[in-house]
Amino acid sequence: MQLAIASGKGGVGKSTVTASLLYFLKDEYGLIAVDADAEAPNLGLLLGVDDWEEERDHIGAKVARIETGSCIKCGICMERCPYGCIYIDREGNYVVNELTCEGCNVCGLVCPVTGTITLEEVRSGVVRKATTRYGFPIISAQLDVGRPESGKLVTEEKEWAKRVMEELNLEHMIVDSAAGIGCQVIASLGGADAAILIAEPTPASLSDVQRAYRVVQHFREPAYLIVNKADINPGFTGLVDWAEREGIPILGEVPYDGAIPRSMSLLKPIVEAFPESDASKALKEIAERIKEEILG
Amino acid sequence: MQIAVSGGKGGTGKSTVAINLAVALNNLGIDLTFADLDVEAPNDHLLLGVELGSEEPVMQFMPKFDYSKCTKCRKCAEVCEEHAIITLKDGTPFLMPNLCSGCRACEIVCPVPGAIQEAFRVIGHTYVTETPYGFTLVTGKLKEGEERSMPLVVAAKRKAQELQEGILFVDTAAGTGNTVSKAVEFSNLLIAVTEPTPLGIHDTELILELGNLMEMPTWVVINRSDLGEKERVYELADKYGAEVVAEIPYSENIVRSYVEGKPVVLTEYPEARIFKGLAKKVLEFLGGGE
Repeated sequence: MQLAIASGKGGVGKSTVTASLLYFLKDEYGLIAVDADAEAPNLGLLLGVDDWEEERDHIGAKVARIETGSCIKCGICMERCPYGCIYIDREGNYVVNELTCEGCNVCGLVCPVTGTITLEEVRSGVVRKATTRYGFPIISAQLDVGRPESGKLVTEEKEWAKRVMEELNLEHMIVDSAAGIGCQVIASLGGADAAILIAEPTPASLSDVQRAYRVVQHFREPAYLIVNKADINPGFTGLVDWAEREGIPILGEVPYDGAIPRSMSLLKPIVEAFPESDASKALKEIAERIKEEILG
Repeated sequence: MQIAVSGGKGGTGKSTVAINLAVALNNLGIDLTFADLDVEAPNDHLLLGVELGSEEPVMQFMPKFDYSKCTKCRKCAEVCEEHAIITLKDGTPFLMPNLCSGCRACEIVCPVPGAIQEAFRVIGHTYVTETPYGFTLVTGKLKEGEERSMPLVVAAKRKAQELQEGILFVDTAAGTGNTVSKAVEFSNLLIAVTEPTPLGIHDTELILELGNLMEMPTWVVINRSDLGEKERVYELADKYGAEVVAEIPYSENIVRSYVEGKPVVLTEYPEARIFKGLAKKVLEFLGGGE
């Protein structure tokens, strides 16, 4: 089974919850973790991974380059670039900003001087694998700064994870997705059997999780909700009301707990570092419900 | 003049810092236009306690094939970097709309006039909101199910530039990919908001790297500065030639004003002073830059 964790808003606790669930589920199931936030990968850190046993460059992103020598400075490329990535530098030359280029090659197609603008394949990041100290493997990725197509890195991660699952005969893939609702999240949710949404009781988190839920609905996947930092905004019922209206089962509520940032500093899941904390107790109950209601 | 607030990791407090700094700057008499370019999860209007204002769809080009004119030469499919055009055995092209980036490469290479016609789809919206704080907020919002945030970041940023009065003040998404660099591009100052956890620190390094690559002066604000090892943030800032300009301890007052949609800088809470101080520092920076 493939289980994806998403939230829309960043920083509401996706990786904290994912690391804790992995910790509770590892003894009963054959698991593989996928950190699908290639622009800010943190799950490996939370699981104490400091050594990647295998690392592969992901080549695939393309960026345009302008050969200044043959450029006639007609400016058509700059005019036609859909994303405004071509500019004139201090010396008066047309250059592509490689940190924003999407690699569509429109500039190359409209350039009247053959061979002046070329589309070059560049490394967009790395995909890597480690075995955590808990015994289960993790696949992670890191996009190089300013590169496009982080979603493709996530797709490659999941393909690698599937191969590892076959090799090691593992049952479940747990995917910790990125913030937002774009390509990385779509690649994370696509093909999942169920989605667990994480939100905190604030208007911003509610707005973002509603957007993430609409993406889940595109894929027609069953969704569940975990309310994190459940006590930071007493009196706010919007999140729970929404879940009830949509018929999204609430797996549990985790209180705000100062032990969470402390556990991060120890590079351990909170449930291992501070098993008696209020948050850990709540997470343990949630893990039990996931065993019963989702993983079976 | 353009200032961008970013941070790498999600939830470090980018939007909290951005809206409070914008309000404080405005109170110092600085004109600005605020662009919320976190198009996948735009929240600044909620933090400012305003309803989104006038809505405009962002239309994206997609090819519409006129099969009576198409010669089935397959050039459109070959040139599509997104592989959004597939062809049947006889060369008849079909579009998979969700993959199309709207770049028009297919239209450019099509040898038959009129075989590719213009069609459009709505990929999201921009909103222009007059806030009670004295500045205009431009928000970009990607439609759910759309994969590409780049065209929406570009559209929302252009809209904000059209309306720009004074400083263009940008709040970005989490992450460090090219949509964040597009939002940050052409800033005179990048403010990276982080938290001193190993996760925050890891991602801060990425955003500082982006600041260096884009050759822009970069400041660091340490949020929840008492929840972790802030010394490590100072070391990192040093390494990248960035300056740590503010520390914000974890504060329930900030959480409260966040959920109530009232900028904390306008309250009597002690935290207001931090943002006022930061605004003064920006003012000095602006004065020095001219």
